[in-house]
Amino acid sequence: MGNVLEVRGLNKSFGGIVVARNIDLTLQSGRIVGLIGPNGAGKTSLFNLITGVVKPDTGCISLDGAPLDRLKFHQRIHCGLSRTWQHVRLFPSLRVLDNLLIATHDYPGERLVNVLFRRRRLTEHDRVARDRARDILGRMRLADVADALVSDLPYGQQKLLGVARALMSEAKCLLLDEPMAGVEGASYAAMQRVVREVADRGVAVCVVEHNVAFVRDLCDEGIFMFSGAIMARGSVVDLIRDPQLTELYFGH
Amino acid sequence: MEYLDGIVIIVGLYVILATSFNLIIGYGGLVSIAHPVFFALGAYASAILSRDFAVPVPVAMLAGVGVAAVASIALALPSLRVSGDYLLIASIGFQLGLLEVIKNLRFTGGASGFTNIPPFLIRDFGRESYVVLVLAMMTAVILLVRWIARGDYGRAMSAMRDDELAFASIGRNAMWMKIAIFGLGSGLAGFAGALYAHYFRFVTPEQFELLQSAAILTMVVVGGMRTTWGPVVGALLLEALPQALAFVNLPPSVLGPIQGLLFTGLVLVFMFFRPQGLVPAQDVWRGAFTGARAPGETR
Repeated sequence: MGNVLEVRGLNKSFGGIVVARNIDLTLQSGRIVGLIGPNGAGKTSLFNLITGVVKPDTGCISLDGAPLDRLKFHQRIHCGLSRTWQHVRLFPSLRVLDNLLIATHDYPGERLVNVLFRRRRLTEHDRVARDRARDILGRMRLADVADALVSDLPYGQQKLLGVARALMSEAKCLLLDEPMAGVEGASYAAMQRVVREVADRGVAVCVVEHNVAFVRDLCDEGIFMFSGAIMARGSVVDLIRDPQLTELYFGH
Repeated sequence: MEYLDGIVIIVGLYVILATSFNLIIGYGGLVSIAHPVFFALGAYASAILSRDFAVPVPVAMLAGVGVAAVASIALALPSLRVSGDYLLIASIGFQLGLLEVIKNLRFTGGASGFTNIPPFLIRDFGRESYVVLVLAMMTAVILLVRWIARGDYGRAMSAMRDDELAFASIGRNAMWMKIAIFGLGSGLAGFAGALYAHYFRFVTPEQFELLQSAAILTMVVVGGMRTTWGPVVGALLLEALPQALAFVNLPPSVLGPIQGLLFTGLVLVFMFFRPQGLVPAQDVWRGAFTGARAPGETR
């Protein structure tokens, strides 16, 4: 299992607030890593730094050996990175299926020359994209709501759709920001199953999550962050049982 | 008849202006007020090239489209790199500045205007042929914008307008899309300008002042943003009203301010009582060709 994502010596501070303190991180193909830590530990900031939403002060990031540092957010996505958002960020003016269809890796239907002269290629691309989107929706138990408005979905299903959208690009590395917050019941099980399936196909997955049970059941490994630094990496059970980390987490 | 032909042409050109502005501000979500300046650039470029450089009129018209599109991209490129808000500020400066430049240059005819623009079609085929040309182009522009909005590109525009960060997170570059929309919309305004110049054969910088910005914006807002027919209805209504006012025989010094009051008043009234405009938009993107509800698709 090779390293998919490598982060070396990442530092970032906003004024006096340090959100990343000399972070080294590797994510391996087929493994799910849980990122845990109290609020303000810098977990989402780390995702923002990796994806290029925020520029680091120092440090370098590479995906499959290729440096990402000079690339913008959307260019990094094309390199094989994908992420979800803590607050979902779907496209409310598109229906559920369209939210996925728009997130394909390639979009020939938006180029004039294709629309005018290469209709057959477009139809083929559209068919493949639809099949893929419907397959993902099916696995997420969202097939019934493919034509629904995003705003009509309950919050749990919106979260699933956010993850589904991130899966459309066939990324090598998937960063999930609190996928389980507000998710329960059938959606909970679907999310757990789908994330596992994605990892089993060789994707490197990193999950920020406060739901300890979810992290324990799903993740192969845990990373504990506090105040912008990685404090420990190991089995999730060990991290949860560590009295020092527990103290940091609950701030006694 | 000549008077009526003139009115039909003016209304047709304003439909093109409002429809192309709807592409920019409605579908693209780009707030700019400089639309009349691209109208002016198209008119002046086509007029100068055909009169002083003996360029054939159809070629000069296309050059007018090109000049307007290139100028708009030059304006959008630096301002959109910062943020969408800067486009508004930059567009105000661009409009005021460029009109001052036109007023103070010799080859544009200065403040007194550019005269003797070569006519097109009229000498050979009569005025009606130009009316047909304008109406055909108007129809083509309406259908073009509708086609873009309903296609895959329109779906991407909706997503970009919804959430730019999420749009980037699916690997899309919002800035290039905005620049493309702005360039195309402004190029179409330049086309309207070129069509104007070779019919009326006289342009002055005064025609493209802020009042025009207000007029075009009002047409789009009152008609209905992000709809195919909203800008058309808006342009018809707002061009018909001043024409009706012209029959009252008011002196121009009174007519100008009254039109300004009319435009701002209409925007205020619509903002409070019918914010969606005369033709309400569908909030959800509907694809004509693809999309969630493609015909014949099995669930």
